[in-house]
Amino acid sequence: MDALVLQYVMNWLVLGCIYALVALGFSLLFGVLNVIHFSHGDVVIVAPFVVLAVLQGLVAAMPAATAGALALALAAAILAVGILGVIADWLVIRRFRRAPAMMALVATVALGTVVRELIRMFYPQGSNPKPFPRLIEAQVALGGVTVPVFSLLAIAVSVAMMGLLFAMMRFTPLGLRIRAVAEDRATARLMAIRPGRIFAATFFVASAVGAIGAILFASYAGAVRFDFGIQLGLIGFSGAVIGGLGSMLGAILGSLLIAGIDVLVQATMAEGASYRLVFAFLLVILVLVLKPSGLLGRPAIEKV
Amino acid sequence: MAAAAPARAATLADRAIVAAGEAGGALILGLFLLAEDWRLITAVLVLCGAGFALLELRPAIEERIVAAFRRAPATALVLGAAIVLAYPFGMQGNSYALHLLVIALLYAVLALALNFQLGSANIPNFATGASYGIGAYASALLALEFGVSFWLTLPVAAAVATVFGFLLGFPSMRTRDTYLALVTIAFGIVVHQLLNNFDWTGGPNGLVGIPAPSILGHSFARPIVILGQRVPAQANFYYLALALVALAILAARRLHNSRVGLAWNALRGDELAARCQGIDVVWYKMLAFAVDAFLAAFAGSVYAAYVSYISPDNFTFLVSVTIMTMVIVGGMDNSFGVIVGAFLLTLLPEKLRIFSDYRLLFVGVVVILFLVLRPQGLFPQRPRSYGAS
Repeated sequence: MDALVLQYVMNWLVLGCIYALVALGFSLLFGVLNVIHFSHGDVVIVAPFVVLAVLQGLVAAMPAATAGALALALAAAILAVGILGVIADWLVIRRFRRAPAMMALVATVALGTVVRELIRMFYPQGSNPKPFPRLIEAQVALGGVTVPVFSLLAIAVSVAMMGLLFAMMRFTPLGLRIRAVAEDRATARLMAIRPGRIFAATFFVASAVGAIGAILFASYAGAVRFDFGIQLGLIGFSGAVIGGLGSMLGAILGSLLIAGIDVLVQATMAEGASYRLVFAFLLVILVLVLKPSGLLGRPAIEKV
Repeated sequence: MAAAAPARAATLADRAIVAAGEAGGALILGLFLLAEDWRLITAVLVLCGAGFALLELRPAIEERIVAAFRRAPATALVLGAAIVLAYPFGMQGNSYALHLLVIALLYAVLALALNFQLGSANIPNFATGASYGIGAYASALLALEFGVSFWLTLPVAAAVATVFGFLLGFPSMRTRDTYLALVTIAFGIVVHQLLNNFDWTGGPNGLVGIPAPSILGHSFARPIVILGQRVPAQANFYYLALALVALAILAARRLHNSRVGLAWNALRGDELAARCQGIDVVWYKMLAFAVDAFLAAFAGSVYAAYVSYISPDNFTFLVSVTIMTMVIVGGMDNSFGVIVGAFLLTLLPEKLRIFSDYRLLFVGVVVILFLVLRPQGLFPQRPRSYGAS
C-alpha cells in the first residue's frame, strides 16, 4: 500500500511540475503583456516533435552516439520553440497590443489552430500519435520502493527551471527590465528600456520553459499527438489563473492543485480516468467562486 | 425601433441601393454555395475581400449604404423577406447547399445569442457550445425516452438550458474578465465531459434516431412541393432555422432598445460607473448568461431534430470558440455583422474542402487576417440613433 501511495505522490509531483512549467509561461506573459497567449499550449507541443525529428536524423547519421544525440535534440527543441514563440509574437500577437483583450484571445486561438495544422501537415503522418521515448528507463530503489528515475529527473529539472526563472526575474538585468515593463510600460521607456525587445525576450523565455514542460509531458505520457497542446494549454492556463495571473508562485501552486485532484480522482474512483477532467475543472470553478482573483492574485480594486 | 422614424423620406436612390445591396448579397452567397470549381470560389473570396478593402479605404461608401437602409426600412424588410423565403427554390435542388444554409443559420442563432453577452455587455463566455449541447440533449432525450413532440421539447429544452445559464452566471457576481472567461471554459469542459461519460446520454456514441418534427401532418423528413416546384427535405429545417434567426434578431432589436440593452451597454462602458448609476450589475450579468443559454438551446433542439444524431463531440470547447470568433470577426453588437460572421465561418471551412488537408490552416489564417486588417469586425457596431439620422 505504501508503495502505491508513494507512486501516486510521485505521479502528482511529476504532473504538477509539468503543468507548472506551462502555467509559468501564461503567468509571465500575462504579467508583462496583459495578454492571454491562448496558443501557448500549441506552440510548446512543437518541442517533442522537434526532439523526435532531430533524434531520427541524428540516429540515421551516426547510430552510435545516442545519449549525445538526445541531449542535442533536446537543446535544439527548446531553442526552436523559444524562437517559435518570438515569431508568434512578431507575426500575430504584436498586432493586438492596443486592441481589446478578447481580440487578442480569439487571434491566438486561431494561431493555435494554424500551429496545430502545420504540425499535422509537415510532420510525416502527423495525424497519428507518435510514440515518445522515456528520457531515462532506469528505476531506482528509494526507501525499499522502486521509483522510475524519470520521475525524479522530471521533478529535479522542473524545480531547477523554476529556481532559474525566479533568479532571472530577481537578480539579472533582463529580469529587472521585464519587471519594469510589466509595472509601467511608459515609464520603462523613459528609463531607456525598449519594450519590444523585452516582449521578445519574455516570449522566448516563456516558450522555452513551456517546451521543457511539453517534452516532459510527452515523455510521461509515452506519446505525442498534434492536438495534445489543446489540453496541455488549457490545464496550464487554468493553473496560472486559479493561482492568480501574474504571480509565478501562484502558477506553481495552481498547477500542483490541479494535478493533485487529477491524480486523486484516478487513484480513488473506479472510473477515475474518464472523470478526471470533470473534477479538475469543477475545482477550477470552485476556486474562482471562492477566490475571484485566484489564490495569490491581487484583488482587483478599482479606484475612481 | 428608433430608426423607423426617418429624418428624411427615402428617395429612389435609397431604394435602389437597398435593392442592389440585398440582391448582390444573395447572389454572392448563392454563387459561393453552388460553386464547385476552386477558381470560382477563390474569385468570390477575392471579390469579397476587395469589397471590404474598398469600405475600409472609403468610409463614405459605407455611410451611404447604411443611410439608405435606415431611410428605407420598409423596402429593405419586404425585399429581404422575399429573397430569403424564395432562396431554397433558387438552389437548383442542391441538398448539400441547403444543408450548409441550415447549419449556417443555426450558427447565426448561436452567434446572436452570444452577442447579447460578448457584444452588448462585453462579458466573455466560452460556454455557448455547452448551452447548445444542453438544449440538444434535453430535447433529444425528451423525444426519445418519453415520445414528447418536438414542438413541446423546444420550450422545455430552452428552460433547462436557461436554468444552467443562471447557474453559470452565478460566479459572475465576483469574477471578472479572464477569470470569468476561465469559469465559462471550465463549465463547457465539465458539460462536455459529463455528456461523454454518463450512460443515459449514450456516452461518446451519443443519441441516435431522434425523430424529425412534423407540422399539420407534413413530416419534416419529406421534401416540400409547392406549385409543382420541389425542394429537398432540408428546406423544412431551413425555414425553421430562419424563423429562429428572425426571432433572435427581433429579440436583439427589442432588447437593444430597452432598458436592459442600455444597462448592458453601460456595463460594457464602465462597470463601476454603471453601478453608480443604480444599475443592478449582478442581475444584468446573470440575465445576459440566461438569454444566451435560452437562444442557444433553441438552436440545439433544432440541430438535434435536423441531423437526428448527436454526440458530445458536436458541443466541444472548440465549438464555443468558433461561435466567439463569429461574433468578433462579424462585428460585436451588430446583428447583421454577427450573422455575416456566422455564415462566413460556417461556409468557409466547408467550401475549402477542395483544399482538403489545408482547410483548417486556411481558416485560421483567414481569421487572423480579418482581425488584423479590419479590427472592429466586418461590420462594426454603430452608435445608437434616436430618430435623427
